[in-house]
Amino acid sequence: MIYFDSAATSLQKPPAVRRAMGEAMVTMASPGRGDYGPAARAAKTLLACREEAAALFQVAEPERVILTTSATHGLNIAIKTLVKPGSTVLLTGYEHNAVTRPLAAIPEVHLRTLRTPLFQPERLLEELDRQLDETVDVVICTHVSNVFGFILPVEEIAARCRRRQVPLIVDAAQSAGLLPIRMEDWGAEFVAMPGHKGLYGPQGTGLLLCRGEKVQPLMEGGTGSLSMLQEMPDFLPDRLEAGTHNVPGAAGLLEGMRFVRKRGTEKLLRHEIALKNQAAAGLARLPGVQVFASREHQSGVLSFRLADRDAGQAGEWLARQGLALRTGLHCAPQAHITAGTEKTGTLRVSFSAFNTPREVERFLELAGRMPS
Amino acid sequence: MFYLIMCRSQTNAQRISKALERAGIPARILRSPAEISPAGCSYSVKIPAHALSRALTILNGTGLPHQGVYVSAEGYGYREVEL
Repeated sequence: MIYFDSAATSLQKPPAVRRAMGEAMVTMASPGRGDYGPAARAAKTLLACREEAAALFQVAEPERVILTTSATHGLNIAIKTLVKPGSTVLLTGYEHNAVTRPLAAIPEVHLRTLRTPLFQPERLLEELDRQLDETVDVVICTHVSNVFGFILPVEEIAARCRRRQVPLIVDAAQSAGLLPIRMEDWGAEFVAMPGHKGLYGPQGTGLLLCRGEKVQPLMEGGTGSLSMLQEMPDFLPDRLEAGTHNVPGAAGLLEGMRFVRKRGTEKLLRHEIALKNQAAAGLARLPGVQVFASREHQSGVLSFRLADRDAGQAGEWLARQGLALRTGLHCAPQAHITAGTEKTGTLRVSFSAFNTPREVERFLELAGRMPS
Repeated sequence: MFYLIMCRSQTNAQRISKALERAGIPARILRSPAEISPAGCSYSVKIPAHALSRALTILNGTGLPHQGVYVSAEGYGYREVEL
């Protein structure tokens, strides 16, 4: 099988990830639940995971790296901390349902969505300047669109939020492990990311980077600290980490992040962009195929659609030929509305460090033979 | 006699222990004795008596927060140290 769905989950992982997870399964218990060896080893692994993330994403203290189950989990914490009933929230127009559904669950939230063309960051900033006024309580920015790979100008967006003192939440689901994430420089209130995409960790892991400690827990429960109190501890990470940790997951994520650091995010991104450019050029030569590509502001995520064929059926046919890609709305209707593809959806290919140009050639051969 | 550096979380205790051990000070993480942890379940870092001054210098230098220092002398329980 050729796997081109890493924007959903990177399937191929560095071997060290599964080794670390296997070892954690048999040697580690729960951190904070005892002074014995397996508990201490678990605690050590969790701290190493937080420290690795803090170094990779420029977080001042490892305590501010929260271990979550996914980017969605982190975004829910961030949104439910900052957005209150009646708040006005400005969205960049490419948001995933992981952002918009938690917002929809809060009563009377006023959404203001930028609708600017794909791959035009200047237009987006102009529109942001027009709409970011004193009535906006929170800005939520998708760093990279999960549908189109559009790299949004997060540094400039963050600078505008700092100037106006509006809290910023960044959804780094598609950028973590590929693009620089500078928590301190950005001054973002929260950055949420999954562990299982560009960080090459296992599914069920994620990170939430927090600027401050005034955060609203999504869950209450045991933390191994201040047990006589019935309120959650007021310090991080304990405040946001009730219940038993996913220690094997953290062990795997740690190894995934070490892999990213060793390879270097720039090199990883260059590799994915090269594959994307190869796929985009090949698809553009096929009749009836519309490709959403840019050489400048796009990561290794590429969407396309077919003039006379249903995206879902085409995806099914490709899957039968041994090609794994994603079709439909990709849980991001807002991005499709912004780009004008909400009626058809798109087919999406997305790459990882383990994909090769040969695989892209094979994909293009198959795409050229798709039945109408 | 030894000192306990009281920490607000296990992560905080791990970081303090790591910083001190890097400087050659034996620093073992343990559950805080109930006597000094009325809210239950907290962590402390145990250091030998002779290392207190150097340990505090290191903690000040790194900016790592702690929740106070307690001295333990055999038979006398724990007493908070005024810093």
